[in-house]
Amino acid sequence: MSFSISIHSSKGGTGKTCIAQNLAYAYAMDGKNVCLLDLDLKSPSLFSGLFPVKDCWLNSVLEGRQEIDDVLVDATREMGTKGRVCVGYSNPDIAEIREISLKDRRWQSQALQKLIDCKKKLFSSGFDVVIMDSSPGVDYTSVNVVACSEYVITVFKSGESRGVQLVINGIYKPLEKRCFAIENMNNGVSSFSFEDQIPVPVLARIPCMCDVSKYGTKKLFTCEDPAHPFSKAIFNLKDQIC
Amino acid sequence: MDNKEQTDKILFLLKSIDEKLDKLLRMKHIYMADEVPEGLDVMTLLSLPDHLRTTATALIENGVSTAEDLAKITSKKRAVESSYLNQLVRMGHVRKFRKGKKVFFEIQSSL
Repeated sequence: MSFSISIHSSKGGTGKTCIAQNLAYAYAMDGKNVCLLDLDLKSPSLFSGLFPVKDCWLNSVLEGRQEIDDVLVDATREMGTKGRVCVGYSNPDIAEIREISLKDRRWQSQALQKLIDCKKKLFSSGFDVVIMDSSPGVDYTSVNVVACSEYVITVFKSGESRGVQLVINGIYKPLEKRCFAIENMNNGVSSFSFEDQIPVPVLARIPCMCDVSKYGTKKLFTCEDPAHPFSKAIFNLKDQIC
Repeated sequence: MDNKEQTDKILFLLKSIDEKLDKLLRMKHIYMADEVPEGLDVMTLLSLPDHLRTTATALIENGVSTAEDLAKITSKKRAVESSYLNQLVRMGHVRKFRKGKKVFFEIQSSL
């Protein structure tokens, strides 16, 4: 059964993109057909150039100028995975990022519908997993992504649990999402006190690792170093989700 | 009066109120386009009361649907879904149209 996962966080710099791209590779190595979408429209990552790029953007799909198939890049050959891997990017041009910031609620309402249509189209064209890397925080660009996904993974850093609870109780739960949390860059001390427990499963507490911090999104750990503790945490995460 | 009879009576009254409100809107040409948002954006969706949000969320995900289609998703009675959908229509978030004998609903298109 096909499903989509949005990777979200209440704050920036939690390692969402790194987790999204490594998780995508992990699913594809399992033989799943995966579509990885950079939907951080206000701060596109381009996945640090790890996958092939073409001059077509998800922005055009949300505007209704292009279809989702037209903007995806097939990275299966480069990745050498069992399953198919396709990637979609947000436009990093500053004029486009400014344009996104100016969109009104009518446009955002259409964008949500377009995202849902895209997801359905991807499922019907054979993708098993759609992973959407969203903007951090609470605004239209991020909450639209959360709203159109089946699962939400919220990534937080040690000591930043308050924001997590806000997005769980204020966004994910009202939208009736199946939600999981990942504590990334864990420094050995749990972020949650006894009173602070959140009602969603924390699927992973990934320790702070120097080489992960050093390479960040520039290295696909699950591909280049599957025995690395970070890679193992991602493989384990994948098995727990589905 | 047992629970089922009470529920049926409530549903009957809700349906009758819905029909009267729809009739009023048609008769008096009350257009609220200037007052209500067109379409349904995600922040407005989050601000809806729980029962309407569940219905609206199901409609967004499912696309054009009948009250019966949504009742299967939300596990509520068709008449209840119909009432909620009509509330969303009056709020300007949902469009209602007839095709043959069936009444369909869809998120109001804003562009």
